[in-house]
Amino acid sequence: MTEPSAPKQHSLVVEDFHAEVAGKEILRGVNLTLKSGELTALMGPNGSGKSTLAYALMGHPKYKVTRGRALLDGQDLLALSVDKRARAGLFLGFQYPQEISGLSLSKFLWTSYMQSHTAETADTAAYDRELQTHLGFLGMDSALLKRSLNEGFSGGEKKRVEVLQMATLHPIFAILDEPDSGLDIDAVRAVGETVAKLHRPDAGILLITHYQRILKYVKPDRVHVMVDGVIARSGGRELAEELEAKGYDFVRPAQATA
Amino acid sequence: MELFEVDMAQAGEITPLDYTRYDFKNPETYRLRIPKGLSRDVVTQISKFKDEPTWMLEYRLRAYDHFVERPMPDWGPDLGDIDFDSYTYYANPLLEGETKRKWEDLPDDIKNTFEKLGIPKAEREYFGGVGAQYDSGTVYHKIREDLVKKGVVFCDTDTAVKEHPDIVRKYFGKIVPYNDNKFSALNSAVWSGGSFVYVPPGVDAGIPLQAYFRINAKNVGQFERTLIIADQGAKVHYIEGCGPAGEEILVGDRVTPIEQIAVGQRVLNSDGVETTVEKTMVRRYDGDLVGVHPASPGNAFQLTPEHPVLCIPRRKVSKGQYGFQSYDILDHERIQTITPEFVPAGELHPGDFLVYPINKTTRDDSSFTDATMVVLGYYLAEGCVQLINECKAVTFTFHIDETEYVEELSKAITELTGKVPWKNPQPERHAVTVGVYSEALYERCLEHAGKYAEAKALSKAVMDLPPAKQRSLLRCYYNGDGNVSQMHGTVLRVMTVSRQLAFQVQELQARQGFFATIRIREPFEETMKDGRRISHRRMYTIYHRPNRHVRTVIRRGDSFLVPIREMSWTPYHGDVYNFHVAGENNTYLVKGFSVHNCTAPIYSTDSLHAAVVEVVAEPHAKVRYTTVQNWSKNVYNLVTKRAVAYEDALVEWVDGNMGSKVTMKYPSVYLRGRRARADILSVAFASQGQIIDSGAKAVHSAPDTSSKIISKSIAIRGGQTSYRGLLHVAPGATGVKAAVRCDALLPDESGRSDTYPYNEIHEEDATITHEAVVGKIGEEQIFYLMSRGLSESDAIHLILMGFLAEFSKELPVDYALELNRLIQLEMAGAVG
Repeated sequence: MTEPSAPKQHSLVVEDFHAEVAGKEILRGVNLTLKSGELTALMGPNGSGKSTLAYALMGHPKYKVTRGRALLDGQDLLALSVDKRARAGLFLGFQYPQEISGLSLSKFLWTSYMQSHTAETADTAAYDRELQTHLGFLGMDSALLKRSLNEGFSGGEKKRVEVLQMATLHPIFAILDEPDSGLDIDAVRAVGETVAKLHRPDAGILLITHYQRILKYVKPDRVHVMVDGVIARSGGRELAEELEAKGYDFVRPAQATA
Repeated sequence: MELFEVDMAQAGEITPLDYTRYDFKNPETYRLRIPKGLSRDVVTQISKFKDEPTWMLEYRLRAYDHFVERPMPDWGPDLGDIDFDSYTYYANPLLEGETKRKWEDLPDDIKNTFEKLGIPKAEREYFGGVGAQYDSGTVYHKIREDLVKKGVVFCDTDTAVKEHPDIVRKYFGKIVPYNDNKFSALNSAVWSGGSFVYVPPGVDAGIPLQAYFRINAKNVGQFERTLIIADQGAKVHYIEGCGPAGEEILVGDRVTPIEQIAVGQRVLNSDGVETTVEKTMVRRYDGDLVGVHPASPGNAFQLTPEHPVLCIPRRKVSKGQYGFQSYDILDHERIQTITPEFVPAGELHPGDFLVYPINKTTRDDSSFTDATMVVLGYYLAEGCVQLINECKAVTFTFHIDETEYVEELSKAITELTGKVPWKNPQPERHAVTVGVYSEALYERCLEHAGKYAEAKALSKAVMDLPPAKQRSLLRCYYNGDGNVSQMHGTVLRVMTVSRQLAFQVQELQARQGFFATIRIREPFEETMKDGRRISHRRMYTIYHRPNRHVRTVIRRGDSFLVPIREMSWTPYHGDVYNFHVAGENNTYLVKGFSVHNCTAPIYSTDSLHAAVVEVVAEPHAKVRYTTVQNWSKNVYNLVTKRAVAYEDALVEWVDGNMGSKVTMKYPSVYLRGRRARADILSVAFASQGQIIDSGAKAVHSAPDTSSKIISKSIAIRGGQTSYRGLLHVAPGATGVKAAVRCDALLPDESGRSDTYPYNEIHEEDATITHEAVVGKIGEEQIFYLMSRGLSESDAIHLILMGFLAEFSKELPVDYALELNRLIQLEMAGAVG
């Protein structure tokens, strides 16, 4: 009931962000600003640190932030536990989602949804309607809702379920970690088009991808290229096309001289 | 000499015996009761009570003789602590044959106990028949008229012996012979109650039949005998619930009546250090109890005279005359250096100093900021959690002049929630209400400070915070509820109707360096004031002097020495309790004061449940037997369950074991007809101090039979689970299919799980699969769920419930909810 009625501008600011995994430094000073209404693509070769950035922002216990800040609307994300980051509006779409036996997808979705709602703010009818719409967008069978979360799901189903969660949870900032990897052409298209449709003026999306092909559907406003744990190059949509044409090698010298 | 001699004069007494005055826990009013211990005479007496035919008495005596000869099992959990002479083998709240058919006819205490378990609500809404057994007595049995018309029989087994002798004699003891094992022999000798079900050929009983079993008194054994017969093509689902009502689940941060202390619980010892209860004991006591009344009247306690109490005898530290009334001169130097000693309670004198140790436990938790403590302090005094328009809110009511407190609270609320609380002045009541909608704050207040005046109490997390942090909480609590009196110097006092909170505030003040005394005002009748009814509940007032100690109380190191004001002696006949705690310092606190574990002869407080269940599924019949066992954690649950399935019959065991101290139970199916099937789903959940040794047996003695066994177990907080299974394929039983799956989950890696599968396969063409997986809850799974906003404990809870989903989806909804609640409770202790 304290929700403001006008759409609000949000920001996620990552400053001088250093992170290590098992004592090995992966991120070496990432600076990145996400704004609501913007769709940002983060590209880069394997091992450049894209996923590390995603996990470290979400608060995975194995990823240790050694320096820098991450502020969601000025609030220090690093001071919050994982669940509180989620309730603050951060979402991570996993590249390899976990399987949980006996927990149905529908119960999982509803439980997650209720974390940021009370009995009063929850709108069951709207929730159901939206869920059916998104299942349609993603070309998913609603029978999937009755099955154990991700258990025995195909690679494509798992990726779609991640996007479905983003759709039901309405995060302020969603990070999607390679939602296109391992998918066939049709699935990439379904996922890409749904992400584009879900993109709202009061929320931001950071799409991590290795390939340019999904960008055909999502049309990012900004493109960043990460190499060796830093943002080596930033630009508009054309940067992605340039990468596709020239390969990641062409950004490396830029990083070397940076 | 016999370990126990039965007083037959008393045992044979049919006139009502009123035991209520002997017990101070649950009322134990038995119309019939045989004194504890086991002998041929006890067995004969049980049979006589029941007015049984000779064949049954002879059967019981044969079984008794076998029980005496039969050694304890030499495998499985240690049963060495069982003392068969410490149990009462027969205790019936009603007379035999007095089983009620109308719920209203039950005595109130029994009705209340069972209503907590959900009957008769369940009966109205769901079940085709309901039975209820209280210790040895079947107190209630009812079956729906439509089932009676179909010829279905559902009654207690005692009644069945009389009314259906032919069927009973045909099957009784044929599926589980008395000499199957030591506990089946025991059951066959002393059995009482249990259900008898007969479903005629071709009849589908439809809705389940249900029975509840409850052990009320400590040291009472329950030995029900259940016999289920599904005739050709018949179908029946029988459900049994075993266990206590909810009030017996214990929490470590509560002032707990000593008789409710359970093994594994944390208590403070005389050094103010937490330790673990290793064993609880009870004994019958006939004599005087000593009442020790210290300078703080609310801390008075009673003990047996030989119970050692830690004290400094006043004569050892007094320079002059001693005694509480006269002001003797104390040697303060000596008080500080003398070692306190254990003195039997009967030898204490007024003026002797009792030792009140200051709780040293400190566990900081950075999520409790000063603002949290401010809010919790005011919440204890003035706060209330409520749903306003179905939205979770916390509200506080202040006197209209208390603007300073309102401001301090509002600031703290804003800091915690980011919201500005509303303020509603109510001039007509001279009050102002402060409130905020916040689910997080609502949950936090509820979790850490309780709800409603009488139930307000602080959580263990708050009690364990560093004293410096607790100061803000006390200050705000006193701001709200306290007042100052100037009698003989400044005295701060605070009043509460919560007994729990009173003792917690005393403990918190001790940590601040003040000994606070507690006075109790007994409740009295309603009075009228200003046209309003005012009820006067029991009220606890906590006093302390912020400037100096109560004159008579002395600080000594990490303890306070509190003089005894008065001693009293009261005659008593009943159970007295005692327990062993871990560590060399075998001491614990009674009302805050140190006493030693009593060295008087002791008996264990365990109860014994040894049931036998026999199931017959004639050709084409279908029987499902569901058990949800949640015994309290002092029950040995040693049960023999066996079914015989004939041609094309199906027997399903759905067996959940959450409670008990030790469970040994292996539901089995003997597949004796072609194409008979067995489906066994067994679940074990073992926490602190529990061993659940369960499993399943499938004995294939006919061709083309099949069995499926699924075992799921969770062991947390040091609990132990074992799967013990037998798969037997007899010679000639060709074309057998059998599948066994054992999944074990060790969420915190402190539990233990073992698997003992035995296979005896005598036909080569049998198709046997066996899978066993031991897992723990992955960090990645928890992270995944938390990334969707779930707290860590909610995440673990969901994973556990998912693990048990195959079981819980088979349960009626009330049981599934109970399972959910139980696991949540156990996890609340395990995480965070």
